[in-house]
This record gives sequence, structure tokens and C-alpha cells, in this order.
Amino acid sequence: MTPPRVLVVIPAHNEQASLAATLAELHRVAPDVDRLVVDDGSQDGTARVARASGVRVVRHPVNLGVGGALQTGFRWAVEHGYDVGVQLDADGQHDPAFLPALLAPVLAGRCDVSIGSRFVESSGYRAPLNRKIGMWLFQAVVRLAIGRRITDTTSGFRAYARPVMEVCQHDFPKDFPDAPLLILLARHGFRLEEVPVRMRERQAGRSFYTLGKQLYYPYKNLLASLMALIRRPV
Amino acid sequence: MSYFLSRTQVVVAFGAVLLALYVLDLVRRRRLSEEYSLLWVIASVIIALLGFSTPLLVWITRVLGFLGESSTVFAFGLAFATAMLLYASIKLSRLGYENHELTREMALLRHDLEELRRERGGEEAR
Repeated sequence: MTPPRVLVVIPAHNEQASLAATLAELHRVAPDVDRLVVDDGSQDGTARVARASGVRVVRHPVNLGVGGALQTGFRWAVEHGYDVGVQLDADGQHDPAFLPALLAPVLAGRCDVSIGSRFVESSGYRAPLNRKIGMWLFQAVVRLAIGRRITDTTSGFRAYARPVMEVCQHDFPKDFPDAPLLILLARHGFRLEEVPVRMRERQAGRSFYTLGKQLYYPYKNLLASLMALIRRPV
Repeated sequence: MSYFLSRTQVVVAFGAVLLALYVLDLVRRRRLSEEYSLLWVIASVIIALLGFSTPLLVWITRVLGFLGESSTVFAFGLAFATAMLLYASIKLSRLGYENHELTREMALLRHDLEELRRERGGEEAR
């Protein structure tokens, strides 16, 4: 049996300041894993930095959002015969040292999606109050929708088995792939599992969650969660 | 009772005819697709009918319980404007979705193209 092929997908939008360090660390920790940077319409040197690190880059001509970047990564992974896809943030929040732990349950076939969670074990992560309220809210929404507790719904550090990527390359929440995605995955019958990880402060660049989006986010995410629950999966 | 109830009715009726003609002209000049013209033409025809046919207008006004005949004309106009906007939003969403798909497909194709070019460039150099 051939060893399972793993692709780390790194969505990046204007991340030239932190991408090199993230890629270097990933290479140090997991030298033989394949990597793909999806440059989501960056205005800066994100693609150049990635190429300089010797990493394959697919560039969106315009910005589609994290969801779109991941979908491109998924399609690449599916077309090139990968068994598992891992989503890793470009900004250094996700510690690649947890990669083996994240991959283990998927590779063992215990689940289809593993989620790197900050809250399964106390990881010392302290969120500001507004984020905290949002996290409680969406934790409740997800629990209500799929009937089980996911402690870290906003974690973007996840591993996806091939069948999940096959579905998600076509059907994926657009802007923020968190609570609606978990509901969508559960509705497709995929098994979710949380893996304890530690996350760090972003190294550089801006968070996706800017002020305007802070108001838009709860509305959009609640609606998308409801729709993920009641609409027929594609 | 004169044939026309009010000056408003006359203005709206002729306005609707002008709008219908303009829409048809846009289609002729390929500035508007036939698909989109349909709703516009239907809307202007109904408004024109209400404007020119006073008995019909009076009857509808009584049945729907509007206070004045001109309100009926404007209510219909507003209903069509709303329908048109909703239709445009649906079309925009669809275009957005298609655009999203095309962008991703294009990014992957471009990547493959550049890779092929590099490989061929390497062969020629040898």
C-alpha cells in the first residue's frame, strides 16, 4: 500500500510579511509534505514570496475570500490524487508542529474532517469579549443544528479527507468557512473530530475579521448556518 | 365625466408608451437582451392599459380598495419596480457564483499553462 498523500493548502491574501516564515517553519517541521499556496488576489508580493520558498502557487486574479481559496486548493488536491488536504493559515497562527496530531484521526479513518481546536484542552487562548460572545453563539448554533458540541467552530486549522474535498470543491460556504461549513459537512454525513492544538497570535498582516465584517459576520453566518441546515446539499 | 380622470393618468400612460418604445429600441441596438426586455415591456403595457382604459382603472381601483385611481397606477408601477429589482438581484447572485467558479478554474488553468511552458522551456534549452 502506498503511503497516503497529504497536501497542505495555504490560502493567502496579502500575506507577504508572514508567509515566508510560515512556509519555512512548515518545511522544517514537515519536510516531505506537499504544499500549495493559493494566492487569493493579493496586491502585494505574496506569490513572489511563496515561489521564492519553492512552493507551488495558484493565483486568483481577484479576491474570492478564504472559502474560494480553499475550494481552489481542494480541486487541485482532488485532481492530483491527494488523500488528505490540510488547511493552514498563512499568518502563522497555526503551528505546523500539530500537523501529525491533526492528520492522525483522518489517516486512521476515524473521521473525515479533523478540527484543530483551541478549547478541547485549555490552551491558554484568550479571546476578546466580542469574539467570545460570537464563539458561544456559533457553538450553540452548531450544536443545535448537528446535535453535538464542537468547541472551536471558528478554527481554520483542519484536515479534510478526499471525499470531503470532492464535495467541497463544488459546495462550500463563501466568505467564512466555519459554522455553516460544519453544519454542511455534518449534513453530508461526514464525521467530525476535534484535536487539541495551541494557536498563536498572527505574525503580521490583518485579520479577515475587520470592523465592517464584525457587524456583517453574525448576520451572514447565522443565515448561512440556517441555510446549510435546511437546503438540499448539492 | 371626461374620458381621462386626471392629468396624472395621461402623463403616466404616455410615459409608459415611451418607456416601452425605448425598451424595444434598446433590444434593437443589442444594449438589452430579449430576456430582460420582457418584464419591462409587460410592465409598461400594463401601466399604459391602466392609463388609457378608464373603466378598467376605475374597476380595479374599486376592487382593490385604493383611494384614488392614480394610486392604482403608481401601485402597479411600484410592484413592477420591486419585481424587477428582485429579478436583478437573483441574476446578480447567479453571475457572482459563475464568476467565482470561473475565477478558480482560470487560476488552475493558468498555473498549469505556466508549468507546461516552464517544462517546454527547459527542453528547448537542453
